[in-house]
Amino acid sequence: MSAIEARGLTKRFGGLVALDGVDLRAGPGETLGIIGVNGAGKTTLMNCICGLYRPDAGDVLVGGERVTGQPPHVIAHHGVGRTFQVPRVFRKMSLIDNLLVPVLDRPASDSELIGRAEAMLERMQLIELRHNYAEELSGGQQKLLEMARMLMPDPAIVMLDEPFAGVHPVLCKFMIERIEETARAGKVVLLISHDLTSIYRLSSRVMALNQGRVIAEGGVDDIRGNPAVIEAYLGT
Amino acid sequence: MELLILNGLANGLIVGGIYALVGVSLTLLYGVLRVVNFAHGEFVIAGSFFAFVLFSTLKIPPLLAVPLAAVAFFAAGWLLYYVLIPRLARSDDPELMSFLMFYGVSIAAAALMLLLFEADSRSIDFTFTPISVQIGPIYISTARLVALAITIVISIALALFLFRTLPGKALRAAIMNPEAIQIMGVDIVRLSAFAFALASSLAGVTGVLVALVFPAFNPFSGAEYTIIAFIVVVLGGLGNPVGALLAGVVFGLAEQMATVFLPQALAQIVGFVILVGTIFLRPSGLLGTRFRR
Amino acid sequence: MASPSRAADSADRIYFTLVALIGGALLAYFAAVPVLGLNVAFHFYLMLWITMASAFNVASGFAGYMPFGYVAFYGVGAFTTAILVKKAAFPLFLALPLSGVAGLVLALLFAPTLRLSGIYFGIVSLALAGICRLAITNMPEEITGGSFGLQLGSRAQPLQSFYVMMAVMVLALATILWLSRSRLGKALRATRDDAEAADMMGVNVPLVRLYGWLISAFFPAVCGGVEAWYTNVVDTETAFNTLITAKTVIYAVAGGLGTVTGPIIGAVAMVWLDELIWRQFPLLNLLILGVATVILVLFLPRGIVGTVLRRKPHWRRYVP
Ligand SMILES: Nc1ncnc2c1ncn2[C@@H]1O[C@H](COP(=O)(O)OP(=O)(O)OP(=O)(O)O)[C@@H](O)[C@H]1O
Ligand SMILES: [Mg+2]
Repeated sequence: MSAIEARGLTKRFGGLVALDGVDLRAGPGETLGIIGVNGAGKTTLMNCICGLYRPDAGDVLVGGERVTGQPPHVIAHHGVGRTFQVPRVFRKMSLIDNLLVPVLDRPASDSELIGRAEAMLERMQLIELRHNYAEELSGGQQKLLEMARMLMPDPAIVMLDEPFAGVHPVLCKFMIERIEETARAGKVVLLISHDLTSIYRLSSRVMALNQGRVIAEGGVDDIRGNPAVIEAYLGT
Repeated sequence: MELLILNGLANGLIVGGIYALVGVSLTLLYGVLRVVNFAHGEFVIAGSFFAFVLFSTLKIPPLLAVPLAAVAFFAAGWLLYYVLIPRLARSDDPELMSFLMFYGVSIAAAALMLLLFEADSRSIDFTFTPISVQIGPIYISTARLVALAITIVISIALALFLFRTLPGKALRAAIMNPEAIQIMGVDIVRLSAFAFALASSLAGVTGVLVALVFPAFNPFSGAEYTIIAFIVVVLGGLGNPVGALLAGVVFGLAEQMATVFLPQALAQIVGFVILVGTIFLRPSGLLGTRFRR
Repeated sequence: MASPSRAADSADRIYFTLVALIGGALLAYFAAVPVLGLNVAFHFYLMLWITMASAFNVASGFAGYMPFGYVAFYGVGAFTTAILVKKAAFPLFLALPLSGVAGLVLALLFAPTLRLSGIYFGIVSLALAGICRLAITNMPEEITGGSFGLQLGSRAQPLQSFYVMMAVMVLALATILWLSRSRLGKALRATRDDAEAADMMGVNVPLVRLYGWLISAFFPAVCGGVEAWYTNVVDTETAFNTLITAKTVIYAVAGGLGTVTGPIIGAVAMVWLDELIWRQFPLLNLLILGVATVILVLFLPRGIVGTVLRRKPHWRRYVP
């Protein structure tokens, strides 16, 4: 049984078919890279999985359980965490409070949760800023904060949308290490990126989308030489 | 009964025309500047008092007050824009803060009119000859017909301006895509000032017509017109001038018919219900074109 | 690096010391008002506005809504107490909590509006308050007293109602103090900043918003009831006067939304200013209130406390 599975996901916006029967499955410890040109449907795929969009057809299964059409917070409680292409932090809340939001309904005591949040910020090298408002962070730092917030509830499935976009190379390396750590901890990682080097380095499998369809899927080496992918990327 | 309905229809058209003007000016303002003018009704009533003062002190008839109000309120609006708006744009949430700021403007404007004119209801006892005109089986006061004619002329002029002239097209472009228009090299500040002045000017003129059509007005009538403006703007789709014109007439008719068929108490609630209903059932308004929020 | 949790403890100490100081000062001062022979009416309304502005802050500062028809809760609360006492011969101390319940019921009726945002919410709220006023105005005269309003009879007890108002204020402030540190408060703030993101982070957004909304509706309804008792009369003109919303909003914004102290400081400063102006220029009162609002929005949009905290961000942890 796969930890996350999508069957025939379809999403239309008016006349535009953003996702067209996409199948996806991934198991624990696996990192699935998702690539495709701008507008290929990558973000839409994540939005459908986490419940932000209701797919027009198809199903999403988390841990074998069908969650299609459930509101996002219910799906989050099934252990699905994510970050956003353009950071969506809680701007007027401290970093600590940002990290507490996903674990508010945990039975653990406040001080225990705060301790965990501080440890997480320590790992992300944000600890010095813990009492700042999130809006006071730089763009790259906001990406780190999002990653920390995503990891707080210890989700089984993490989805990262362009974690490296606009991030300084040193921070990039740092984030790559965090992602590797996460996969080693037995989580499923879905990773969207235009940075093919990082994708090829991190992914155990890669899926290429074009105009809402899966045009290729397989190991890194299969994808690297795949003519359909090359054509989609270089254009005709 | 038939007569009542015919009367209701005629009055609905006349009142609706005024509502259309009240709404179209507010919607222009929101569309271009993203500010919510809570004081719009007070602007309108200020126009009524303007006509009142001109008539009672200088014997200037309301018909002549229309162009005078247009000019005076245009200038006042231009001035007010530069006092209020540039600073507002710097706050965290300009749209919501504008709501609050104009709340203050509306309180201040009503209070000012109260100081100047006291709380009594006023009316302009100017009469046209003949005092009323017979159309088919019903009689309509000449003042109301004149007001209707002016409304129609203004609406057509406004539509021509928005769709046929360059500044009008710039305004519409600014409503649809405020970011893009700046890139196009349009001076957005001047355009906004112009929109504000135009909206004020329309409000002032509408006020003169209010003085013609409705029996009386007082410094507190402004709040009613603000609500009416909101109803029309929402019904027409936020920021959609054509929608507002149409919605004004629709609402005017609905309101007048409600007074024919429903008890007084319920008729008053009709406007509120239309407002709430539209927002829930058809948030993009009558015409349904999606305008950016 | 200093151990983070130790630093947090010391911040908490300062925070709670401040709470105790401010709270203690407020309590001692208001409790002493009748004893010292100060102006009871002025202080009654000061407490009323502190309560109103603080409760409004839950909807606006915490949850991010601008209910421009806030007066609806107040008016319905006022009429609930008046009708229950006058027409059903309820004892006051049963009628007042029931006013709060009426506020909660009204808030539940209005709950569908919570899915609107920004100005749509504000406009609908305004319209709903209008509907409430018209509905009560048009109720049979035997119930609501028609345009003359309802006299509560010889039940006015200024001193008793003063201390009841004080109890309501303390309850409101305690609730909001709790809320600002609670998990519900954090969830509310998260939905205010980005509702969709909060949803995807596991926050049950509609539920959290509803809780905040109920808290925000309860206290103005009780205030309406207490004020009806205090003045001994209610009518739709005064109980649904839009100036009540205006003052509530302005006082809360003047102090600063989103903090516990903001609306308190805002209400104290503005009520005092209002009184001063009213005494000097009774005719200009309304005009100055309006102009003050404009100036406030233009020059102090974050309010007194908000502006201070923006200058000194590290004080945020210490200031309730
Ligand atoms: N909320 C929406 N409303 C309308 N169209 C949308 C919406 N979200 C996405 N789309 C459309 O769906 C298509 C896929 O968008 P998506 O954001 O999934 O692309 P992407 O693969 O993430 O691209 P990028 O690499 O640029 O982020 C695009 O054509 C986009 O315009
Ligand atoms: Mg994308």
